[in-house]
Amino acid sequence: MAEERTVMRTQLPTSAESQNPQLKKALEFPILEKQNWLIHLHYIHKDYEACKAVIKEQLRETQGLCEYALYVQALIFRLEGNIQDSLELFQTCAVLSPQCADNLKQVARSLFLLGKHKAATEVYNEAAKLNQKDWEICHNLGVCYIYLKQFNKARDQLHHALHLNRHDLTYIMLGKIHLLEGNLDKAIEIYKKAVEFSPENTELLTTLGLLYLQLGIYQKAFEYLGNALTYDPTNYKAILAAGSMMQTHGDFDVALTKYRIVACAVPESPPLWNNIGMCFFGKKKYVAAISCLKRANYLAPFDWKILYNLGLVHLTMQQYASAFHFLSAAINFQPKMAELYMLLAVALTNLEDTENAKRAYAEAVHLDKCNPLVNLNYAVLLYNQGQKREALAQYQEMEKKVNLLKDSSSLEFDSEMVEVAQKLGAALHVGEALVWTKPAKDSRSQHRTTSASKAACFQQPLGSNQALGQAMSSAAAYRKLPSGEERPQMKNLSYT
Amino acid sequence: MAAAPSSDTDSGRAESKEASSKWLDAHYDPLANIHTFSSCLALADLHGDGEYKLVVGDLGPSGQQSRLKVLQGPKVLTESPLPALPAAAATFLMDQHEPRTPALALASGPCVYVYKNLRPYFKFSLPHLPLNPLEQDLWNQAKEDRIDPLTLKEMLEGIREKAEVPLSVQSLRFLQLELSEMEAFVNQHKAKTLKRQTVITTMTTLKKNLADEDAVSCLVLGTENKELLVLDPEAFTVLAKMSLPSVPVFLEVSGQFDVEFRLAAACRNGNICILRRDSKGPKYCIELSAQPVGLVRVHKVLVVGSTQDSLHGFTHKGKKLWTVQMPAAILTMNLMEQRARGLQAVMAGLANGEVRIYRDKTLLDVIRTPDAVTSLCFGRYGREDNTLIATTRGGGLMIKILKRTAVFADGGGEVGPPPAQATKLNVPRKTRLYVDQTLREREAGIAMHQTFQTDLYLLRLRAARAYVQALESSLSPVSATAREPLKLHAVVQGLGPTFKLTLHLQNTSTARPILGLLVCFLYEEALYALPRAFFKVPLLVPGLSYPLETFVESLSDKGISDVIKVLVLREGQSAPLLSAHINMPVSEGLAAA
Repeated sequence: MAEERTVMRTQLPTSAESQNPQLKKALEFPILEKQNWLIHLHYIHKDYEACKAVIKEQLRETQGLCEYALYVQALIFRLEGNIQDSLELFQTCAVLSPQCADNLKQVARSLFLLGKHKAATEVYNEAAKLNQKDWEICHNLGVCYIYLKQFNKARDQLHHALHLNRHDLTYIMLGKIHLLEGNLDKAIEIYKKAVEFSPENTELLTTLGLLYLQLGIYQKAFEYLGNALTYDPTNYKAILAAGSMMQTHGDFDVALTKYRIVACAVPESPPLWNNIGMCFFGKKKYVAAISCLKRANYLAPFDWKILYNLGLVHLTMQQYASAFHFLSAAINFQPKMAELYMLLAVALTNLEDTENAKRAYAEAVHLDKCNPLVNLNYAVLLYNQGQKREALAQYQEMEKKVNLLKDSSSLEFDSEMVEVAQKLGAALHVGEALVWTKPAKDSRSQHRTTSASKAACFQQPLGSNQALGQAMSSAAAYRKLPSGEERPQMKNLSYT
Repeated sequence: MAAAPSSDTDSGRAESKEASSKWLDAHYDPLANIHTFSSCLALADLHGDGEYKLVVGDLGPSGQQSRLKVLQGPKVLTESPLPALPAAAATFLMDQHEPRTPALALASGPCVYVYKNLRPYFKFSLPHLPLNPLEQDLWNQAKEDRIDPLTLKEMLEGIREKAEVPLSVQSLRFLQLELSEMEAFVNQHKAKTLKRQTVITTMTTLKKNLADEDAVSCLVLGTENKELLVLDPEAFTVLAKMSLPSVPVFLEVSGQFDVEFRLAAACRNGNICILRRDSKGPKYCIELSAQPVGLVRVHKVLVVGSTQDSLHGFTHKGKKLWTVQMPAAILTMNLMEQRARGLQAVMAGLANGEVRIYRDKTLLDVIRTPDAVTSLCFGRYGREDNTLIATTRGGGLMIKILKRTAVFADGGGEVGPPPAQATKLNVPRKTRLYVDQTLREREAGIAMHQTFQTDLYLLRLRAARAYVQALESSLSPVSATAREPLKLHAVVQGLGPTFKLTLHLQNTSTARPILGLLVCFLYEEALYALPRAFFKVPLLVPGLSYPLETFVESLSDKGISDVIKVLVLREGQSAPLLSAHINMPVSEGLAAA
């Protein structure tokens, strides 16, 4: 490139200046748009200081007539948060060129950002008159209507926007409307179309995965979440959801490895620490589980699911007094959940407060619709208290629920629950294994569960109390995983 | 070329830490004072001596002193001032004459300055835009003094509101004036011919009729009035004119003008328009939802960088192929072509000081630079085929040479699981004490629970009792009776021995005024003296806070303080409506004395 030989600096003999009629220019008006290109380049390079300097010069030179300079100045103001100032500048632009839909669009956008959705829709409608084929106007109108809760109008506008030009954002908004209306199937349909259109959009893939998760279609959910993670291995929403699914299948180590990524990205996420805690619980590292759950509880003190899990872990640790506090706190936030009352009753039983335990069971039975465990545990308590008739009533109630469950779904019952139920049945002299036609020896019988309960067996003296302990721990296995996985779902729902 | 690395060994050595790097650091001068964009960089053999030079349209440090710089090796060969800021620079072959030295074109304002052999050769000005006939007519009338300024203003305003063709600058200026200035303005400017001019925003070259490396090329100009012009290379006449929906910012051309060509124009409205020969307007339109920051064609794929920090790949028909997310904002993009290996890739300069090289969506290489790169250019420089030239935000110039042995393989960048996966989870530790307490709870859980419950009930009971007592003896500063809803709070001011005690009494009922209240102070007479220990309260209008002031004299010189009780009573009743205990401060005035 550079030979070190000295080159004479030959100036251009005629400088370019002489070509330009400098003298004549004195009286001429400068072209208004002279530096628009430079303003634009600085603007897209996000070099706002340089941009503002050029704008200032340009406006001085043109005495405020340069529309584009004003336009970009307004955009920068808006980025800096001076929405009111930017709105005024956009209005000036609209005066300078009244035929331009862009200015109106930006005015409307500013109004939208100020939360004046009604006013924004009016301006957008005005802009739509000037430019009929602009998806952006239609899309933003749709979004405004969503905020105004006029879902039908919003849907029309968004469909129109999609008709003009397809954009991921429009699909997302359309899906959101369906979710707001509680129409999951329609939402899934929309997101499916969106994924077809843009197969690499991780947000769409994640949302779709979460929707399937919510519907309980785990195969598809995992497929979409996996796809999302292929394209963006650090997408924390997808990781949380996929991790909770891994937890359901007992892959705690894999889930924990994945959670490390999230822990780097969002170290203060309560659902993350909840899930990590439940992973450790699954691995029987109870102390670690408790410290993670306590961190989650510290980050989100009003989240009853974390409190529920804390109660559960403490029950397993036989710290019944602590468990009682966490569970009663959870009940204060979520007074409508039967399982919480049941766990509270278990804690109370162990704290030898039988009267209150019975009351808690009564509340649980009252609230519950389909969980046979509640009745079984209640029956065990009643039987232990010698109230055989009441115990029998609960036992029969449980049988009803079991039959219902067997009819409606292929859910397999926890083997220990079956065992305890059979024992109790024998004790109450109601023929053995009537309902449990096939002793539920399911293939993936959650070895972790059984081992957890075995531990309970060893620690507890044999006797009627053992049955209770087992029932409780199976309850734990039954509930802890769903509660672990519901978290990210709930969280994501609030976003979508 | 061989001597090049020695020219700037310091910075060269400092940077070539990575022995595995594919690049040789030929030159880095952080104070080269070159401020420009990729569009104003061009590499060409300007003198026909096989020594390729770098042409820089420099905007100057603050956009003031724009210059045309020609660099050879690390040094500036020539430098000449420019009349206006350069928007784009391009080199192209104008004719078939030997020697085949390329001409240099610089677009600036409404003109293209063409240089041959670095001497000014031709200046092309954009044709004037058509004027609004009505406007023209009005100014003609003004010239003959047949119209008064006020009518002129009204008529012009009418045109501005409705007309398709915008007004000229002269009319716009006129419309801004105050009434008093109009006359003078008209007299001064009426003789001038009206004109409307536009500005070149971007420029590129398009082969005329041959695909060869050294074929004659046309200039393609994008203008501020949303048009594309193709210029004849010899006569500089407009060969073709195409209109766009918005102002073009970046252009990308392939093909030959006489045969078939495709033109992609990234526009200011965030769209990318694709035009073909024979089409007057856009054939396809890609709508990005953000502004494009760069447009590069790699083989048949259009790569667009957007302000959302991502690269998108599109087909020539506007179908989206892929998207890659960048770690920082993209500042500039350009094509990297390694002819010997048939490699075409996209270089993107990022705001975090990286230059990333992508082939489709696979990252080939990352070059870390000391400052954010604002313009990039790759090609033959001097006698070296594969040279990367970059200028930085602070005005630095960086020249790197691709090693001849360098081979770009897939996965030169990041692959595998994200690095975050390797970091350990920060699980909070539990102390020995915690474990001990856990064991204790297991052993004595029942007793703990029962003690706790008992204490809790006792606490509740006590709280309830205290509350009832307060209500019964009206000890609270807020009265509980429905007839006289009152609120009281007291402020003590001063250092002593004289304090000012202000009671703020407020009637909190919505409508009813309260009449006939009394205020009584109870205090230790040995310690304090008040001018009035008992007085009447005026009528209390709902909502207002009444400040009732009184002075308190501290009599003790021992630095002790006491409580003064304030009672609010209803006339004729002995039980107070409400009461307040004021903890008087120690008199500091006496303590000091």
